[in-house]
Amino acid sequence: MKTLNTIKNFLIKNLIVLIFYFISFHSFDVAKQFPDLIIFSFSLHMIIIYFYILKFPDNLGTGHIFFGGVINDVVIGTPLGTSSLSFLVLSFFTAYIRNITLRSKMTSEWIAFIPALFFSNLVYFIVINNFSHLSFYYIELLRNTFFTFLFFPIFYYLFNNFEKKMLKGNA
Amino acid sequence: MADSRDDFIIAIRYALLKKGAKQKFSLIFLISLSILVLALDRLSVPYIISTRSVLNDFVYQVSVVSSQPKKFINYLGNSVKNHYGVIEKNKILGEEVNKLKREYYDSLFLKTENEILKKALSIASIKTNERDIVIPARVILDPESPYLKSLLINKGKNNGVIKGMAVFSDGYLIGRVIKSNFFSARVLLITDLNSKIPVIIQDTDVNGILVGEGKKTDLLLEYTPDEFSPEPNKIIFTSGKDGMLAAGMPVAETYLNKNNKVQIKSLANPRQALIVHVTNGQISR
Repeated sequence: MKTLNTIKNFLIKNLIVLIFYFISFHSFDVAKQFPDLIIFSFSLHMIIIYFYILKFPDNLGTGHIFFGGVINDVVIGTPLGTSSLSFLVLSFFTAYIRNITLRSKMTSEWIAFIPALFFSNLVYFIVINNFSHLSFYYIELLRNTFFTFLFFPIFYYLFNNFEKKMLKGNA
Repeated sequence: MADSRDDFIIAIRYALLKKGAKQKFSLIFLISLSILVLALDRLSVPYIISTRSVLNDFVYQVSVVSSQPKKFINYLGNSVKNHYGVIEKNKILGEEVNKLKREYYDSLFLKTENEILKKALSIASIKTNERDIVIPARVILDPESPYLKSLLINKGKNNGVIKGMAVFSDGYLIGRVIKSNFFSARVLLITDLNSKIPVIIQDTDVNGILVGEGKKTDLLLEYTPDEFSPEPNKIIFTSGKDGMLAAGMPVAETYLNKNNKVQIKSLANPRQALIVHVTNGQISR
């Protein structure tokens, strides 16, 4: 019973890391789950990184972000290190936003997600263009980014409620 | 002014260098590591290539195992759907069988007639290249990405799969191998934006390049003469001009869309491929 409880506690504590690795292994995309909703594809990686580095930096280590990015590159087929670099740039901007924020509000954090996404995708775009011969529709990247930004509040409330419940449970 | 600049630098330095209570690495270290990985991957040093192959194989296997529950759910859903659609399907299949029977008899007649004409013209029938190898493989993953349309198959260098080989599903070309690991390989689908195949159009001597549109089965025909406009219901074959794909493989067909505009779609649906055949030549259908 004690072992089961230990495993359960470990899983709950590291749930977000597990989700992060899971979506890295499956290149989570709404397009794949629902082909008719291809237009709404968004990056759950970016939302998780931004939210957790901003609000609960101890729950998602940057090492996990790096390895998750490498796995994502292997699965998708982009040059190794592209997603890692893009995710880490997002982490850097998020950490910077966290450091300069005095009073955190969801709306201001949502707006601050725009420059963070911009620089992260800029790095992705530069690396793809210079380190590979791949070509893609830029409009796809823009659309993906737009819906990542748009869906952020939904996941903000989901993750925030989950973490609050976790903290209550631990108290 | 100087204070605000100092604050900015401090915030940046803090973001880059500070490690949290549970963080083992600083951001600057990991960013440098990512750049190093990118550079090493770009350099294509032999031991890096083999390391990447091992890493690819490992990640693909884990990905395959962890996707089993989802596959099982999809399988259950499809089984239920198929069960309810079986009567309808049976009717359609009956009609199709009759149609195919008629076509088979027609083709038998044409074949006989062709042999007689060949004999008359003393043309030797073309034999298939005996050195051609065909490797059956299973699709283990179809990582849907907005940027790269590809498949992963469970055969790699160990089974003789090498870069550039053609991949078929249901006898139709669906792509070619772009990366071969020890136990797996990545296939770039013909529907991908990066796929470019030299082709020739049925009943014409028009050559062109068939380019993927990044969509389900839609394709584009480029580099055709300015005055050329495609007709509907024509098959598009590989021309073999790239020196990699054999000539005469059916790839796509033209069709009229709802707006009466001629469009091109691939003959096979790469996303539905489960068992594929990898070859360095033609495949008999």
